[in-house]
Order: sequence, then C-alpha cells, then structure tokens
Amino acid sequence: MSEAPGAEGQQTRSPLRVGGLTLVRIFLRSLFLQAAWNPRGMQNLGFAFAMTPALSRLYPDPAERAQATARHLEFFNCHPYAAAAIIGGAVRIEERVAAHEAKAEDVATFKRALGPPLAALGDGFFWLALRPAAALAAAMAVPFLGLWSLVVFLGLYNFLHLFVRVWLFWQGYRLGEGVVEAIGEAHVPRGTGLLKSAAAILAGALAARSVLAAGLPDRPWHGLLVALAVVGFVLVLPRLGLLRAVYLALVAGIALGASIL
Amino acid sequence: MLGPLDADLPHLLAAAAVAALIAGLLAIERKGVLQLMLARPLVLAPLIGAALGDATGGLALGMPLELLTLGGVSLGASTPDNETLLAAAVTSLVVPAGLLLGSGVDESLAALGLLLLAPLGYGGQRLERWIEVRNVELADQAAARVAKGDAAATGLNLRGLVLPFVTTALICGACVMLAPALVLLRRFLPPRAVAGLEMGWHLVWALSAAAAVRAIRDPRAAALSAIAAAAVAGAAVLTRVLP
Repeated sequence: MSEAPGAEGQQTRSPLRVGGLTLVRIFLRSLFLQAAWNPRGMQNLGFAFAMTPALSRLYPDPAERAQATARHLEFFNCHPYAAAAIIGGAVRIEERVAAHEAKAEDVATFKRALGPPLAALGDGFFWLALRPAAALAAAMAVPFLGLWSLVVFLGLYNFLHLFVRVWLFWQGYRLGEGVVEAIGEAHVPRGTGLLKSAAAILAGALAARSVLAAGLPDRPWHGLLVALAVVGFVLVLPRLGLLRAVYLALVAGIALGASIL
Repeated sequence: MLGPLDADLPHLLAAAAVAALIAGLLAIERKGVLQLMLARPLVLAPLIGAALGDATGGLALGMPLELLTLGGVSLGASTPDNETLLAAAVTSLVVPAGLLLGSGVDESLAALGLLLLAPLGYGGQRLERWIEVRNVELADQAAARVAKGDAAATGLNLRGLVLPFVTTALICGACVMLAPALVLLRRFLPPRAVAGLEMGWHLVWALSAAAAVRAIRDPRAAALSAIAAAAVAGAAVLTRVLP
C-alpha cells in the first residue's frame, strides 16, 4: 500500500478499492441484513455482517479492523431492500476513511441521514404498493393459470425487487453520498401511486369476482349474502382486527349454513 | 412429493419431516434472508402442498390466506401477525387430512383447519417478538467480542436464523402428525355442520376480498375498488343478459 503525506499531517494513502469479488460478497451478505433483527440495534448486526468483507480488505491491521467493525454495530434501521444503497455507500466512504480522505464519523453520519428517508420510500413502494399489486394480479390469474399464478406473483415482484436492490447497491457504491440524487431521479413516489391505484382496481375486481362466484349460476341469495359480507367487512375490519373477523366469518357462516342449507 | 399419504406412523413422520423442513426454511426467508416473498401464503401453501402430495389443495388454502394478510406490514419496529406460520400450519394440517380422507382440500376441511389454527397468526407474532428480544443478546455478544479485537464476531448474525427455523418447523411437523385427528373430527361431523363450515369458508373468502381492499393504504383506494367492482359486476350481468 503506497502512502503520501496528508493535508493534516496524516499519511494519506492512495485511494483503496475493495474489488469486484468483495463487492459481490458484500451484496450477498446484505441479503442477510435482518437475520438477527433486534429491538435495540435493529439491523445493526446484519449491517456489520454485510460490511465485514470490505473491512477485512480495507483494514489489514486487526485493531483498526475491529474499530471499524464496532462503528457498524451502532443502531441501524432501514427498509431491507433500500438499505442496499446505504451499504454500497458505506463501503465507498470506508474506502475513503481507510485512505484518510474522510473521517470515521462520516460513515455514521451517512447511515443516520439516509436510513429513515429510504425506509419510508422502500416501505411505501415495496410493502404497500408492489406486493399488494403483484399478489392481487396473481389472485386474479388463479382461475385462468392455476398454479402458474405463483410465477405471476414471484415474477412481477422479484423482477423489480432484485433489479432495484442490485441497482441501489451499485449506485450507492459508485456515488457514495451522491446516491440521494440518483434515487431522487428515479421518481419512486410516482411509481408507488400508480401501483397502489392498480392494486385498488384489482382488489375491487377480485371482490366482484368473489360475489359472482358465490352467486352464479343459480344461487342469487348466496351471492347477495357474500356481497353484503364484503361491504360489511370493509367497514368493520379496522375496528374488529383480523383474528376476530376470521372467527366472525366462520361462526356466522356455520350458523347460517347449518340453519339454512 | 411423498405420493399417496398413509395414516401409518412412518408415512406421517416422513410427511411431517418434509413439511417441517420447508416451513422452517421459508420462515427464515420471511424476514431474515432474501425476502423473495417465497414465505407469503400464496407461494408457501402450494409449495408445502406439493411436497405433501396436493399442490392445488395448497393453493386453495394459500389464496384466501394471502389476501387476508395482505395488509400486515412490518414497518419499523412494528410486527404484524405471522402469516407464514399461520399458512404453513394450516397447510400442514389440512392437506394431509384431505389426502387421508380421499376428498382433497374441500371447503369444510379448510374452514375447520382455519377455525382450529387461526390464533397461530397472533401467536406467531408473539413468538417473533420473543425471538427478536433474544437477538439483543446476540448483538451484545458480537459487540463484546469485536471490542476485544475479534472482528469476525459479526458472523453471530447467522445464529439469529436458528430459532425462527426451529420453532416453525416444530409447529408444522406437529400439525402434520395431528392430521389424522382432523380426519376423525371431520368424519364425525353431522351434514348440517359440514354445510355450515362450507358457508363459513365462503364468508372467509368475502373477508379476504374485504381485507384486500383494506390493504391498499391510499385515500383513493376505496373509490377505485368500488368502481372496479361495479364494472366487473356490470360486465358479468350484461354478458349474461345480452344474447
């Protein structure tokens, strides 16, 4: 490792790079980000686990390496996919810290600054928009595709999920702090809104299909009952909670079915 | 695939081991690793069903359970009901019971399975919280070892996968072993109770559709869903009325 005198009297080393294979290892380890999720440090251990190959490469001295590892055991929480951008960015900043071009605190500042906004962005897009939309598209496809509807769900979801995860990691590593602009240009909130609208339309179509399936061809009262049940449950579900609602549906069905049919 | 399921102990034990292994692996996929959505009820139930000998039966269970739990989202420190444990346990109980009965997964059997196991969604949430509190010890151990200079202690992260795997596998294995009891229960039910359970399953589907509408957290969602429902119903009526 070549060294040159730094601006503040420190030795500034030539820029260090972790290398392609190490980046692949870090990305693969980032898939285990939540393996030991805990209420105190949340994803802290998973983050440090993902960073370990980079730190091993950047800090040959065991004491320096342990010190660097310790700063990644601080509290960290983000959406597990969006965290890829922060892990990539943290690797880039650690390269600069190892070369004495940045301060060790810069890594923590970067993680703290990006964690909450990326968590909100990821939660909104993946959990609240893409997953419902993909699941409802698959549910609509079941009568036509049967078991192949699983492929619809997994394909729709993971095509986007894996692409975004790899892209975020690479952009994070390539741009460091500049990843914020790259994510801003991706127009994620607009995509979230469109997916939610699609999911709402699919949910309505699915509800109608449930009613038609229950009522046709010659059970109009059955269909009417299911239609009333759908509307009723939409209204009371938030107050009732899922478990009570399931038992209400089952007990009401048993009582009605046993007395009418 | 195990082939035709028999009620004898070796067959049941083999089926329980297979269901336990798949359910355990998917339990860690749910939050700890990858998160490719393989642990969602829509995927998990047909997978376990296929391993036990009835993928279509698994899909019949997984579809409504997927919609029921679509709105359960882990945001920050919040923990939703554990849809993976619920779906894996219901599938592990009902699919073998359907094969033993010879009827496959029918509506009454599905309703009976859900009636017995529905609290597992909430129970799974409590279990998950307990496991996560135990993970604090792992993080503390890792921090202590790193402070002593052992940077490789971050590998303790992987130990966090053990408890979700073991607990889910044990519960699902036990559900397969209890399948003959569900068969007995179903056989002793009078026809009126069976009709009631069938109606109950239809109402679970209605609840699933309602839960799907509720899962979309957007101010325009209710209006868009209502318009789509009216359009589909209208199109169905028109196609029946028009020559």
